[in-house]
Amino acid sequence: MKLNAQQIADLIDLTAGTTQDAIGCDGCYELLDQFAQAELDGIPIPESLKVVHDHLVQCKCCRDEYSALLTGLRELEG
Amino acid sequence: MPDEEQVPDDWPQRLRGEDREQAIGELRAILLKGLSKSLNNRYGKPFSAEDIVQDALLKILDSLDQFQGRSKFTTWAMTVATRIGISSLRRKFNQDTSLEAFANDDGSRIDVAVSSDDLSLEDAEQRDVMLSKLQSLIDNELSDKQRKAIRAFLSGFSTDTIADRMNMNRNAVYKLIHDARAKLKAGFERDGIIAADVQAIFA
Repeated sequence: MKLNAQQIADLIDLTAGTTQDAIGCDGCYELLDQFAQAELDGIPIPESLKVVHDHLVQCKCCRDEYSALLTGLRELEG
Repeated sequence: MPDEEQVPDDWPQRLRGEDREQAIGELRAILLKGLSKSLNNRYGKPFSAEDIVQDALLKILDSLDQFQGRSKFTTWAMTVATRIGISSLRRKFNQDTSLEAFANDDGSRIDVAVSSDDLSLEDAEQRDVMLSKLQSLIDNELSDKQRKAIRAFLSGFSTDTIADRMNMNRNAVYKLIHDARAKLKAGFERDGIIAADVQAIFA
């Protein structure tokens, strides 16, 4: 498979953004309700939840899931 | 005037107590409203919110001990329900994904060579050095499994789809790709190349 220029740029971006303390999808899920609650309440994201933000930036699956979650929660808030 | 935020979140007690059936009915209505909005038209697939809510309720009732009160109960419950709903939709979506589109006939090889037309860069020589290094790292540092996952990921397949195709779970695929990225980054750094500098060249 030959990568095109965009795919190479994406791979480089992924590589540059790699950190050792990153959490995985399971770790993200465990903290996602707290992260969503902070966003819904309009409070700054606590330092302990920054790893969730970082994971969401890197993982499209979790980002899509979080987007759906926020949509649903905002519907409930009216 | 009472502050709504100060009202005790008594859902777990209600769902375990004499009020259980009433509480389940209320929670079902909440989840149905939330999921009907959040999952509507996602992936362009029809879905039954009622089925998802039923599965979600079973999971929630089975996992009440895991609710630690760090968010509102309904936020936690919606998080559980959304995971179930999204996973269900992705499974349906993945069934329609062409196997041929995922599996190519050149094994797990990744070729990073690009034509000069693909990238506009004043210093083509510097770019070529970086590409050569990247190719070497991909060939020599990554496992076949990591290359296969990276290929699929860069082709636009979701982590869930890759997990299904590789008989892994989503978290394991994320870790596989993360570890591959860490190897590439470390490889660049061993040669005194900061990944951010490479990023700037290919931005």
